[in-house]
Amino acid sequence: MADQPQFRSSVTNPVATPAGAPALTDESSLTKVSVRARVGASPLGVDFTRTDRRDGVLIAGIRPDEWLLLGAGAGVEALLAGTEFDGSVNRIDVTHSRLCLRLSGVCSASALEKVCSLDFDDTMFPDGATGSASVAKVSSDLIRDDQDGEPSYLILADRSFGQYLYDAIHDTTTEFSSAWPSS
Amino acid sequence: MLLVPCPHCGPRNSADMSYQGEASSRPDPSSTTPTEWREYLYMKHNPAGWLRENWYCSSGCRRFFTVERHTVTSEFREPPLPGSKTPRPTGDGADPARGAP
Ligand SMILES: [Zn+2]
Repeated sequence: MADQPQFRSSVTNPVATPAGAPALTDESSLTKVSVRARVGASPLGVDFTRTDRRDGVLIAGIRPDEWLLLGAGAGVEALLAGTEFDGSVNRIDVTHSRLCLRLSGVCSASALEKVCSLDFDDTMFPDGATGSASVAKVSSDLIRDDQDGEPSYLILADRSFGQYLYDAIHDTTTEFSSAWPSS
Repeated sequence: MLLVPCPHCGPRNSADMSYQGEASSRPDPSSTTPTEWREYLYMKHNPAGWLRENWYCSSGCRRFFTVERHTVTSEFREPPLPGSKTPRPTGDGADPARGAP
């Protein structure tokens, strides 16, 4: 991959969520590479709607013909260099065009359900699941990537929605704060 | 709310979809007549009954698919299998609005 320009997130005002509420963080600076192949191919050995983690790189089957690699730049580069691809496969670095937010905490599914029509129940969307849907009316990819035994969701969308999507998800978390309702 | 059965994503809110209209076969542009072409573009069947229609899963798998919907009840027939171009035959004798693709 060519030298990367300095990363600038589109989330310009990442206000922390209230105490006790699910935590929302901006992870847009992660290197993201989109791998596309024909439908039915499995160039990285990961099925559609599933994820795998290899050497610190998260591989997510986000569409029947598209996979997303997320991780540190060197790790993603090493994984791509070490993978032999058969047939026609496109690899596009989308680090600077995609936004990546992480929502973590026990009530994160309930918060997300306020702005997304997917069913985030553990049986329907377990750890390692992926899905795509509208989140606060923004077409987004969702990846469940639990951390330290707590539910955690990555939400990816076009970078231009950065601050809007951050604010919209932040808004859903407030009712789960330990200070809510305030007097 | 309309639950549209995407062959890849399963039943999804129609707000996550984009309606692409009646499914019909496109005449060959090099041999069709202006009348046939106009009919293909503008003259829809609009039946009160089963209709084959195209949908685009715009917020989900980003793929087009064809499905049969009853325009009166908005009931969907069993969705096509991923990769197939036509809906599964349902065997109940009701005709889709248009012929084979
Ligand atoms: Zn779909």
